[in-house]
Amino acid sequence: MTEKFIEELDRLQADTFEMGQLAVGMLADSVKALKTQDIDLAQSVLEKKTDLAEMDLEIEKRALQLLTLYQPMATDMRKLATILKTITYLARIGRYGKDIANITIELGDQSHISKLVSIPLMSKMVGSMIEDSLEAFEEGDITKLADLGERDDEVDAMRYTILRECITYMMEDPKNISRCANYIMIARYLERCADHSCKIAEKVTYMVTGEHVEIR
Amino acid sequence: MTKENGPMAEGPASNGYLKVGNGKYALDLRKVNVHYGSTHAIKDVSMRIRENAATAFIGPSGCGKSTLLRCLNRMNDEIVGCKTTGTIMFKGTNILSNKVDPVALRHTVGMVFQKPNPFPTSIYKNITFGPKVHGIRGKDELDEIVERTLKDSALWEEVKDRLDDPAMSLSGGQQQRLCIARALAVEPDIILMDEPCSALDPIATSKIEDLITELKERYTVVIVTHNMQQAARVSDFTGFMFLGRLVEFGRTTPLFEKPRKTLTEKYITGRFG
Repeated sequence: MTEKFIEELDRLQADTFEMGQLAVGMLADSVKALKTQDIDLAQSVLEKKTDLAEMDLEIEKRALQLLTLYQPMATDMRKLATILKTITYLARIGRYGKDIANITIELGDQSHISKLVSIPLMSKMVGSMIEDSLEAFEEGDITKLADLGERDDEVDAMRYTILRECITYMMEDPKNISRCANYIMIARYLERCADHSCKIAEKVTYMVTGEHVEIR
Repeated sequence: MTKENGPMAEGPASNGYLKVGNGKYALDLRKVNVHYGSTHAIKDVSMRIRENAATAFIGPSGCGKSTLLRCLNRMNDEIVGCKTTGTIMFKGTNILSNKVDPVALRHTVGMVFQKPNPFPTSIYKNITFGPKVHGIRGKDELDEIVERTLKDSALWEEVKDRLDDPAMSLSGGQQQRLCIARALAVEPDIILMDEPCSALDPIATSKIEDLITELKERYTVVIVTHNMQQAARVSDFTGFMFLGRLVEFGRTTPLFEKPRKTLTEKYITGRFG
């Protein structure tokens, strides 16, 4: 394969990692905006949606071009396949950030029902899962992914805790229903983001080892 | 005999990959060595080639893939100073034995070359040449052979109304398919192809590739190609050769997706060669 191909593949990998940082940042900022009721920050997350979509499309185009021009094999093919799948997962993660930002704007200055501890904690857990998957992708080292399945279980348990907590608030006072429904949605979005991080990790494992694995 | 990770291993047989061929082996090569004078061109190659399947040899120029292919119908005998040792079992006989008549062998192990090489005569006579040598004289029988082989080589519809035209009037791709039809006319068991598409345009190449896919249903096909994508498209098994050795041999899909040897990985990803 030509040096040009190898250079372009390396660039694509770096750009996919950068797209990942953007998506993780959108998710983290959206939860931070929710917690602090910072409408400006939520607005900035919405504005990043276009950048994310553009990166998604651009990387996909370049990856397809490389496939067409060079028809790569073995590790190169596996890396390209991983990039093509990963950008879709990252786009979904970023869009969940956008959805949470929209909820934040919708809630406006209505005070939270409680101190809102669980959702930021869950967001932190999910964010570290995505970052570890991205680092494994960038470095080609899957050792950090060994416990991702267990961490996904913890996230699932956290979502269930938030659900039960919200049901309690809703039963206490029907005025809480609207806000709690939003919290339940946010917990669901975060839980889906954790699932996406596991899917990225599966693809990274395939990229590195050639083996298809299933993480939860 | 078959080591788990040795070059003879075919990789996972039931690991999500369709069963290929009829499960039997057409050729069994054991410690095949070829010397051209002082040059050791093929070194201790052992492998088994599946019946009714397509097997491809890939590797950089000079790695010995064409030499190995030519061992399979003793074409190397024609090269002065070439010495082949080891055994190649075909239908219970070691075809490298002096007792085997190479001409008779080539009836059952046909060959198609890199450049189309039709005889300078009509399309019809190109195909009937071999059967006539075998004593078939009846017009009806020869007509039947011509129609059958031209249909088998996907050329019939294009030439059925001009069988007496010179073979040289055909396009390169048609000439190559005529050469395949000519090889089929003597009813071989095995068809060897030495870079059969390297002189053809993409459309003609695609027709030959489709043809190989059809032919392997009834024949054992062994193909040498420089085009790795072609090997990946048409073959069920692939052998990667380097400096006269068979580095890796196995099912095509896993070999191109996740080769077991670093050398194979480097070659198919273009890191060398």
